[in-house]
Amino acid sequence: MAETHSLQDLRQQAAIASKVFIQRDYTSGTICKFQTKFPSELETRIDKQQFEETIQTLNNLYAEAEKLGGKSYLEGCLACLTAYTIFLCMETHYEKVLKKITKYIQEQNEKVYAPLGLLLTDPIERGLRVVEITIYEDRSSR
Amino acid sequence: MSAVMIARKGTRKWEKLPGKNTFCCDGRVMMARQKGVFYLTLFLIIGTCSLFFGFECPYLAVHLSPAIPVFAIVLFLFVMAMLLRTSFSDPGVLPRALPEEAAFIEMEIEAANGNVPAGQRPPPRIRNVQINNQIVKLKYCYTCKIFRPPRASHCSICDNCVDRFDHHCPWVGNCVGKRNYRYFYLFTLSLSLLTIYIFAFDIVHVVLRSVDSGFVNTLKETPGTYPFKPRLTGERSLWTPNQPRN
Repeated sequence: MAETHSLQDLRQQAAIASKVFIQRDYTSGTICKFQTKFPSELETRIDKQQFEETIQTLNNLYAEAEKLGGKSYLEGCLACLTAYTIFLCMETHYEKVLKKITKYIQEQNEKVYAPLGLLLTDPIERGLRVVEITIYEDRSSR
Repeated sequence: MSAVMIARKGTRKWEKLPGKNTFCCDGRVMMARQKGVFYLTLFLIIGTCSLFFGFECPYLAVHLSPAIPVFAIVLFLFVMAMLLRTSFSDPGVLPRALPEEAAFIEMEIEAANGNVPAGQRPPPRIRNVQINNQIVKLKYCYTCKIFRPPRASHCSICDNCVDRFDHHCPWVGNCVGKRNYRYFYLFTLSLSLLTIYIFAFDIVHVVLRSVDSGFVNTLKETPGTYPFKPRLTGERSLWTPNQPRN
């Protein structure tokens, strides 16, 4: 709790220098995937490996969400039979994975990005179009 | 801690949505502004089904099988559930670009277009994207200030960009897009089934009654005359030239 409190403080006090937008990667079809190309604005702030790892994990999580298997088929059939009223009680597989993604982004922000003065925005807040990375002013106060 | 708590009680996302939608039940229900035709749809479905349940089902349940009205009720409830789900859910509205993103995109477009001589119209804003070895052109939406993803389109009635936009359906009072396509399709399918079912059993009902008491008498007795029965008892009916009435 204390950590998030200081994260909020950081966001409120620090000035936003700029924002970078990671676009969608459509080369393998219309599935949700983001480009892993390292943007030039982040060169001074973060390790290329770390950034690529984050985006790759996000891509894998979205692929897991959209995966069509036996489990999602059964879920769909059961839902149809109950006229979709079952979704008043339980969450869809896609929603469960979206929650997992939100948690992952929060965790990445706390552990990796906030100490470097960066902030990842959950793509779902932008309609799964971009991953927005806010770059805060480099405050060399310690 | 108090600052975070206050932020949570502030405005909800649906309150800030710039499109022309109406919201109910604290954001759980999302519809278009014009709802008149939707109420007509509700009236037509509920009206015809209640007439069927009121007049035909008692006869059919007794003379054929009680399973007939039971299945009709199940089908009717399914149709209503699908209709309400289609009308009340979010079709897949894409949030508009925030000012920073809009500015970023503007800069990108200007960089791509280069210098346009004054007086000439700037070229249309298009982004070429390769999807599975095919070049697809993404159009720019001037209202939402985004490059629309493939298969997204802007609904002028609701004033939103909708992902995988099919059409705006006035009968349902909402757009049909990615997030409610499934419910819309099931609604049209189940409604067709319900219509065929009711029509078939209407014919069965008239045929059964005609076998019992003759076709002309059936037309006299069946629901069309029910509302008028009290008035006819004193008058001579046009259908009965041979039978005197008291």
